Amino acid sequence: MKHTLEMKNIVKHFPGVLANDRVSLTIQAGEIHALLGENGAGKSTLMQILYGFQAMDSGDIFIDGRRIHLSSTKDAIDLGIGMVHQEFMLVPTFSVVENIILGLGQGLGALLDLPKASSKTRDLSDRFGMALDPSVKVGLLPIGMQQRVEILKLLYRDARLLILDEPTSVLTSGEKDRLFAVLRELRKSGRSIVIVTHKLSEIMELADRVTVMRDGRVLGTKSIQSTSQQELAQLMVGREVNPHAVKPERRSGEPVLRIEELCVNDEGGVEKVHAVSLEVCAGEIFGIAGVDGNGQSELAEAILHLRTIRSGRVFLAGTDVTRTSVAQHRAKGISYVPADRRGVGSVAEMTVADNVVLGLQQRYTRGPFRSVREARSSAHRLAERFGIRGAGIDSVAGKLSGGNLQKLILGREITSGASLLIVDQPTRGLDVGAVESIWKELLRAREQGTAVLLISAEMEELLNLADRIAVLFNGRIMRVFDAPFVSVDQMGLLMAGIASPPGSASVPFQESQRDETF
Amino acid sequence: MTKLFERRLIPADSPGAVARTTALALLAAMAVTAIFFRYYGASPIQAYFGLFHEPFGTLRGFGYSLVRAAPLALVALGTIVSWRSGFYYLGFEGCFLVGAAAAGWLSLATVPGSRLGPLPLALFLPLAILFSLTVGGLWAGLVAFLRVRLGGNEVLISLMSNYVARFFLQFLVSGPLRAPGSLPETPLLPRDTWLPFILPGTRGHAGILIAVAAALFVWALLEKLPLGYELVVTGFNPAAARYAGIEVDRRMVFAGFFAGGLGALAGMVEVLGSQHRLMDGISGNLGFVGIIVALLSRLNPLAVVPVALVYGGMSVGADAMQRRANIPSSITFILESLAVLLVLASDVLRFYKPNFSALRLFKLRASDREDSA
Repeated sequence: MKHTLEMKNIVKHFPGVLANDRVSLTIQAGEIHALLGENGAGKSTLMQILYGFQAMDSGDIFIDGRRIHLSSTKDAIDLGIGMVHQEFMLVPTFSVVENIILGLGQGLGALLDLPKASSKTRDLSDRFGMALDPSVKVGLLPIGMQQRVEILKLLYRDARLLILDEPTSVLTSGEKDRLFAVLRELRKSGRSIVIVTHKLSEIMELADRVTVMRDGRVLGTKSIQSTSQQELAQLMVGREVNPHAVKPERRSGEPVLRIEELCVNDEGGVEKVHAVSLEVCAGEIFGIAGVDGNGQSELAEAILHLRTIRSGRVFLAGTDVTRTSVAQHRAKGISYVPADRRGVGSVAEMTVADNVVLGLQQRYTRGPFRSVREARSSAHRLAERFGIRGAGIDSVAGKLSGGNLQKLILGREITSGASLLIVDQPTRGLDVGAVESIWKELLRAREQGTAVLLISAEMEELLNLADRIAVLFNGRIMRVFDAPFVSVDQMGLLMAGIASPPGSASVPFQESQRDETF
Repeated sequence: MTKLFERRLIPADSPGAVARTTALALLAAMAVTAIFFRYYGASPIQAYFGLFHEPFGTLRGFGYSLVRAAPLALVALGTIVSWRSGFYYLGFEGCFLVGAAAAGWLSLATVPGSRLGPLPLALFLPLAILFSLTVGGLWAGLVAFLRVRLGGNEVLISLMSNYVARFFLQFLVSGPLRAPGSLPETPLLPRDTWLPFILPGTRGHAGILIAVAAALFVWALLEKLPLGYELVVTGFNPAAARYAGIEVDRRMVFAGFFAGGLGALAGMVEVLGSQHRLMDGISGNLGFVGIIVALLSRLNPLAVVPVALVYGGMSVGADAMQRRANIPSSITFILESLAVLLVLASDVLRFYKPNFSALRLFKLRASDREDSA
């Protein structure tokens, strides 16, 4: 049976963001289709529309040429479309079969017919080589098996199209191989699979075709035979509309931040940063490139001591600050713009003026009291200099759009007079105008002699702003470049974890070329 | 059809909008309660007059209102400090009891001829305040410590700890501190240690002044001091607080300590100002009613004393109403509960804005219909 799904001209707005801009995507029967893109590229939104979780603003979805309407996830599953989330939606104290029939209303009137459901579960499990025992409590299963329960849940509901969101992010490599085997079995049975991911090697290994998304648009769909990891990496991170920054000559100063052999674990004890050493000087922007989740944020948090350092040392202007508190770091002159603007960088419920004080609350004082007047005048100054619009200084910060909120946070951190500024994904999800003004301010901070550590997944941003760039992959620094002598190709490869470029396909940016750009 | 009410994405949060919706909720609560007054054959207007005349129209009644309001306000202030810091403490009943016990014990220790000997009030009172505050602070601070160190759930632990405090007080009044006699209670506290009466000819005592001072202090702490800012950030968003260099755990323990201290002061005020002896059941649920006062004040410390006065006054008026008009005073409970429920529920109103143009259209259409008819 042919079973082709087509999404045509899907448009989806969120307040202040165009998440999907006339996106079209076709998924054939019996193919594994990879959806590739950075965080915020719009792939999650597209998939949420497809499994009925979000309503699209406009566009059409067809199955075998017939237009379909999705107003809930139930509609989607009735049409054979289901999703396996990154976070599993399972009841740990229920058995496998109980989890699978949860919400189905399966049985004889009010009574459950568990034996029948169990045997169907077992059949499906055997057929696709999942080796699941229907009677085992899900909470006792390892993560990889729990994922199979999620897949089985969809198969039980006769899903023809399975969407898997970052399916390998929680798996060990053995579990990953078994997952791929299951997915290949499913493909053989004529089902279609969409995997949402940014892991290039897995796409090459598993998928038949790949669609790359960026900034809410589809850049293209390629068959795996006709593309390479290198090309995909470039498509994924290369920005099309390039705001350009004029960067004056670098005046290198004294080292401000020095990191020696830093190792950092995440909450689960997995090593996220491995033996990273680097040095950032006054008046320089040091870029850290890398696909999300390769340890960048953990590195930034560890420098500020928001995260426990397992081993290694951090020096600020020559003094060892490895073990000092966040407040002391701030007092010593580290500013930090976190990647999570709403969750970490600001307090949505407090006013804009109160958010200007965040992190500097011990400084905005008169005698023992808070100096509200000073905070308000700072807020006015920031609003004017950075063009923060959308909410007055006395309305809550949650009302600000992403770009304006980011300007507020960046403004606060830049004007605090710090000698080291750490910025994590400063322009993610922002429109070109906001990007330009943020770039300008970062360069201005550099001019004033601030050492800037710029963490970004945007290659263009790094090439425009950074003096030196380190590529981080899997918590390790792959290589450090002087910015003028690196090409997009080289960086793309390193970001994908390929240490030595095959052949010499990559030509470094030539000085003349760069000069033209600016 | 045009909608009469449009939904807002963000609720209107101006003081005017809050005041309007709160007033609407209170009116609705009074309207519903009016039905019950009718049931007892009373005119709702007269009933409401009676309910508010006694506590606010007579000196004697006003004195009683002050007596009821003082501990309520102190518990409410404790609630505000802890809840706004993200520490959802519910153990004020226990704090009240340990605070009362501490003050009572200290007072009895100053009986002429005993350990401390007679103390002038000017010396005794600061000592009593400090002592109750510390005991209550440690009582609640322990719960906060358990939460930040071991991840204990403060709601459960604090609720359970109320029982521990109650049984501890029972032990004190039936054991070590028991007065010779039949009832499990302490002897009358020495007169020198009573809070002075401030309204001549009434029972109104200086506890309300302590409550007012505490309210101003809590307001200054939360609004005017950097420490208060850190507490509020901790309450709203612990991740942002950590990012801002705020030691979230310490702030939370501080909030627990201070909140418990305020709860204990409520107990002290009640025992030194009104009961003048320790006994079982001295709290009369004030530790919970105070939380309601905090909710009605919308966690605003400056609103606490007026709200506590109205709330305390209503219970005084209800008693008078029962004596005079034979209307059960429990109707006041209905009124109070409805007021709490509806005031909290009224938040949802701020998500809607009336569409006046639609309203006008609606009227126009209606009048058109009348014309044609």
